[in-house]
Amino acid sequence: MQDRKPNNQSRRDFMRTGLGIAGALTLPTGMVSSAIAAESQPPIGTWPAGAQGDSVFIGVAVPRTGTYAVQGEDELKGWQLAVEHINEGHPLIRKISPKTKKGVLGKTVKLGVADSAAKPNEAVQAEQRFITENKAILMTGSTSSAVAVALNKLAQREKVLYVSGISGSNDTTGKDCVRYGFRQCFYGQTAAAAITPVIVKAYGKNKKAAYMTPDYTYGHTVTKSMQEALAKDGWTSVTDQVSPLGAPDFSSYLLNVANSGADVLINVNWGHDAVLSTQQAKQFGILDKMKLVIPYQIPFLAPEVGGNLLAGVYAATDFWWTLEDRYPLAKMFVESFEKKFGHKPEWGANNAYMSFALWAEAVEHAGTFYPPDVIKSFEAGRIIESTVGPVHIRGADHQLVRPVIIVQGKKASDMRNKEDFWTVDEVVPGEGLMQTPDAFGCNLGSYT
Amino acid sequence: MVNWANFVSQLFNGLALGALLALISSGLTIIYGTLGVLNLAHGAMFMLGGYAGFAAYRATGSFVVAVIAGTLFLVVFGMLIERILIRHFYKRPHEDQLLVTFGLGIVLVEVVRLIFSSQSQVVPPPQIFAGITNMHFMFYPTYRLAVVGICAVALLALFLVLYRTRLGLIVRAGIEDSVMVDSLGINVDRVFMVVFGIGAMAAGFAGIVNAPVVSLTPEVGEAILVQTFVVVVIGGVGSFPGAILGGLISGEIISLTSMVDPAYAYVMLFAAMTLVLMLRPHGLLGVKGRE
Amino acid sequence: MNADRLYSTHRPGTVEILTAICLVAAPFLLPLVDAAPNTVNRVLVWGLFGIGFDILFGYTGLLSFGQSALYGTGGMVAAWLLTRAGFPHVVTALVIGMVAAAVMGYLVGLVALRRTGIYFAMITVAIAEVFYFVEFNPLAHWTGGENGLPGVPAPVFHLGSRTFRFDTGWSLYPFLALCYFAGIFIALRIVRSPVGAVLRAIRENPLRASAVGHNIHAYKLTAFVIAAAYAGLAGGLLGVLQAFMPPDAFTFDTSGQLVMQTAIGGRGTLFGPLVGAAVWLFLQDFLQSTLKLGATWKLVLGLVFVLLVFFLRQGIVGAVRDLWGLILRVRRSPAAPAAAAAPANPGPSGAAIRPATTMTPVHHANLLHTGPILQTTGLTKHFGGIVANSGIDFTVNAGELRGIIGPNGAGKSTFFKMLTCEMPPTSGRIVFEGRDITGMGVTDVCQFGLTKSYQVNQLFNRLTVRENVTIAALAERRGKFRLDLLRSLTKIPGLREQVERTLELVDLTDRIDAPVAELAYGEKRRLEVGLALASSPSLLLLDEPLAGMSPAERVETVKLLKSIGQGRTMIIIDHDVDSLFELAERITVMQQGRVLVEGTTDEIKGNEAVQEAYLGGVHEVLHE
Repeated sequence: MQDRKPNNQSRRDFMRTGLGIAGALTLPTGMVSSAIAAESQPPIGTWPAGAQGDSVFIGVAVPRTGTYAVQGEDELKGWQLAVEHINEGHPLIRKISPKTKKGVLGKTVKLGVADSAAKPNEAVQAEQRFITENKAILMTGSTSSAVAVALNKLAQREKVLYVSGISGSNDTTGKDCVRYGFRQCFYGQTAAAAITPVIVKAYGKNKKAAYMTPDYTYGHTVTKSMQEALAKDGWTSVTDQVSPLGAPDFSSYLLNVANSGADVLINVNWGHDAVLSTQQAKQFGILDKMKLVIPYQIPFLAPEVGGNLLAGVYAATDFWWTLEDRYPLAKMFVESFEKKFGHKPEWGANNAYMSFALWAEAVEHAGTFYPPDVIKSFEAGRIIESTVGPVHIRGADHQLVRPVIIVQGKKASDMRNKEDFWTVDEVVPGEGLMQTPDAFGCNLGSYT
Repeated sequence: MVNWANFVSQLFNGLALGALLALISSGLTIIYGTLGVLNLAHGAMFMLGGYAGFAAYRATGSFVVAVIAGTLFLVVFGMLIERILIRHFYKRPHEDQLLVTFGLGIVLVEVVRLIFSSQSQVVPPPQIFAGITNMHFMFYPTYRLAVVGICAVALLALFLVLYRTRLGLIVRAGIEDSVMVDSLGINVDRVFMVVFGIGAMAAGFAGIVNAPVVSLTPEVGEAILVQTFVVVVIGGVGSFPGAILGGLISGEIISLTSMVDPAYAYVMLFAAMTLVLMLRPHGLLGVKGRE
Repeated sequence: MNADRLYSTHRPGTVEILTAICLVAAPFLLPLVDAAPNTVNRVLVWGLFGIGFDILFGYTGLLSFGQSALYGTGGMVAAWLLTRAGFPHVVTALVIGMVAAAVMGYLVGLVALRRTGIYFAMITVAIAEVFYFVEFNPLAHWTGGENGLPGVPAPVFHLGSRTFRFDTGWSLYPFLALCYFAGIFIALRIVRSPVGAVLRAIRENPLRASAVGHNIHAYKLTAFVIAAAYAGLAGGLLGVLQAFMPPDAFTFDTSGQLVMQTAIGGRGTLFGPLVGAAVWLFLQDFLQSTLKLGATWKLVLGLVFVLLVFFLRQGIVGAVRDLWGLILRVRRSPAAPAAAAAPANPGPSGAAIRPATTMTPVHHANLLHTGPILQTTGLTKHFGGIVANSGIDFTVNAGELRGIIGPNGAGKSTFFKMLTCEMPPTSGRIVFEGRDITGMGVTDVCQFGLTKSYQVNQLFNRLTVRENVTIAALAERRGKFRLDLLRSLTKIPGLREQVERTLELVDLTDRIDAPVAELAYGEKRRLEVGLALASSPSLLLLDEPLAGMSPAERVETVKLLKSIGQGRTMIIIDHDVDSLFELAERITVMQQGRVLVEGTTDEIKGNEAVQEAYLGGVHEVLHE
């Protein structure tokens, strides 16, 4: 944002040429071009100011009060663990980002946390402050997709990278996608595509489904994705009960569901709404008459709902700790998380950890914090080892191509410890689940 | 095109919702009627009763103890708050009262969050009421039926206190004209304290009784507060029978609207409230001149 | 700007200049205390939002929890124009948003202002919730639902060859500061205008404000629309500030935050919301980032708020102002005894010293009317089963001084209330100067020239004597409603003279700048009469003007009333029969809601029926 002085300019030119020659002789070609390119980069966003010291700053806007506070705390722990591991060069991070030694490009990572209360306005306010005061070079945070979309736009405007937290709406890497934003976790489209074959196999074709949808775009897109996917197997939607966010009582909606004659209840509600609607569904005897399906799982749903109501229920999720039996990285992750925090991580924490790990990998690979280069590093689509096996970013819409985990609730008698709520039924590879890049109208913006 | 089974079941459900609202709102309306204070912390008191009961349940495992604990805690708490805080605001303009109770509400929610965390807590209903009742036209959770009964009994108890005891007489006189009551030599300070305690108690009792139905979070009182306003306005500020009528009507509005378009269920309440305010400003059973 | 003073105590322009200086200095001084530019910008937006709210709440006394509806409306309209509709000019879009919000405010006000006090607050809550829902659900296509409208551009000005782009951070600051300054400038004009004076009167005593001839509903609606306009502009600026218009602008939380910030900063000060927003946003940042409180930040903020409401009634700005006033008073007090020693006429002044002022009645219902000035036929009032007045036929001729007496419960005050149209009769007619005024309102009747002085003082308690009469005189000078928002109070022709003449007539000239709270009871009663008199009525009703006065005060007041009565018609109710006999020419006696008898003072004095009505059978006993 400040103009360089003229004498610096000529000195830079000299150095540039000199380095260029030296570089051409010693470095692999890819590195040469990027090194040369790095020299002719005007300041952009918080670069280079935010990367000049011996530490870099990441701004986190996460709900610590309000409806999603429980999920927000879980995510925060994931980020905190990731930062700790990155700074000390922990073996787990090294497996995901082999070039990492200590910190990112040798710089310590610092975290700043603000309470967004799941409100886009608060999140934007906090991140703007992190950008101007702390020169944040990365932003993260969302549990509500509305926040993710808002921060996407902010990232593009301020030219500061953003990796989303939990965000289930198709729009985040769909019509609201941006060049400066990336998403690690699964979303409506992939959840629906993954879980549909499972429930059709379990419950049959041509069934009647009742939907409970929270009244905002996450809810509407997931419901729509489910309806479209199931229609291919002859399923019909007999009712769609749309409830306001934070509805205090679902009885009127549940009565409508009870009287709808449905075979399956598909509950798209999230956060506390999911907990309450499920508990009340039990109270109204719906769970005895219908099967329950949770297409987009919520962290801590099982312990909050209680009463073993989720036994036998299919859900699609991003991560579950028993994956430690399948993936060595998952095992490392679960162990270090449990050591630090005293309980097993939920998928919010995993998502948080992985997004930072992926970012660290992208930066190490780019060799610079210069945003357009980091973006290109992400978009290169390298296969990276993660807690759910090999994954890669799809350059066209910045969505991570990764598997969706189908889990099924365990009966209380089968639980081996008090956190053993789900069995992993199937790990569905991501490639076949995703829509074509332009299906949701994604139009990534410019690099600068 | 009307699904009659659905209609009847919604009608009944509205009754259940309404009974609860009536109980909570009666507390609010008594406080406003007697003290002239609109207690914006009323929703928080509902929440507090739930959590006090939950803490007792966690310690003893008994639902009955939980209910008693929740209720008693709020009586004491209500009286304390009146003494320490509210009392100083009677002479101050109405807006100040609204502001301080608004702030109090926020503080209470955050204190509870600090102690209990944001995770929702479950209070299971007592065994005798667990399960579902087959009511022929629908299946209804037994406990919700019980709640209707419990609320009815509580309202009856409140009614008896208000209309058959000396204290109740003083309270109703105070609603009419607190200056006169003061001039009659009755210790209005003590009456006000007790009234606030009773009002808080109604909310707290409702909070713990309702906990098995909705599960507890620190935010559980927010939505209730706004619905309580609606009930009180529809029924008539300061009128106990108005709170009951208003509660039942509001419950039905929520239920029946959800049959037509679930998204509009709660907004319809506000439309109804505005309508009443326009056409019959003192509420259906309210006393004219009470603003 | 002090909401309790109608006339500015500062030299003109002081506040404006100080504001400008602070706004210009801020970007240089604030970074020294670590203030983030975007936080400062947000404070300005909240401050602007709050100016309008303060006019509504601090000055007019209407606590609305629904301002978020208008904030969001203005913001969404502006954002939609700039994003979806591709409108090119940011400033024009902001203005359109502001106008849209003002129009919406007008419509909402029509509904909400039908009630007052608590009910009004509750309607505004309902309105906020309804707007949020509508914005979120049915209109999601235009408003972006819960995602809001992203991509709001920054304002760009082309002046000649140079382009000014106000992006974000400190570069956006000048634009916002200019908007804030404009907002303050206009607001200062408004509160110093006659409209501002009336708004304060409404806050102090809406009943009296209406009775002295102001159409308070129209003024309240004006305040509401002003608040809506400020809210709408602020909403649009929020969108520009964030490059994104969020749906949370519409939530009840936003309204709540505005109310809390205004209370913290100080209501009725215009700058209070700015100070409150600064405190709030600063604490929010400080508690989270510096003290690392995490989720407990809101608890601390809530506690701070409750404490501030408890201890600082006028908020921070009010406390600072009181402190300043205390300092000034301490410095000025040595001079006070000298000033107190030289009042012109201490205590009840003799009639000889009073200048021969008269105030001719100016207002009439019908100037050309001959015949009785007031005539009622069959005037009746029922309250449920109770009959307060029954079939009263009453006639008063122009220029008469009529007394009404009667035992308690005779229905005298009720009769007066019907005459001034404060209360509609159950049946019957009232004709004033040949015009049927039955069922009209107290404001219209006052404008026609019929006013009343109240039995229980209905004054504007926090204002001075001069200011009290000014309120009444404003209605006399300007009619029941005029939208002279930008005119200065000092520039109303004839206002000062009207006020001073009225005060001379009621002998309060030496107390002209005293606050009402410092007046003795007798002085307050005189002011009460003065308020009714300031409207230059042709018919003046006085409800127990002598109530609660000592014998000496009564004598003086009778003299005063006699001089006031010159050139106008007066009807006086009182229990002091002797004084009334001295004052009035004719007396009407009421009993149990009816006219018992009517006649000259001599006739009434000796009338047995009257004596019996008062004493109940003593006449018989004495003659046993």
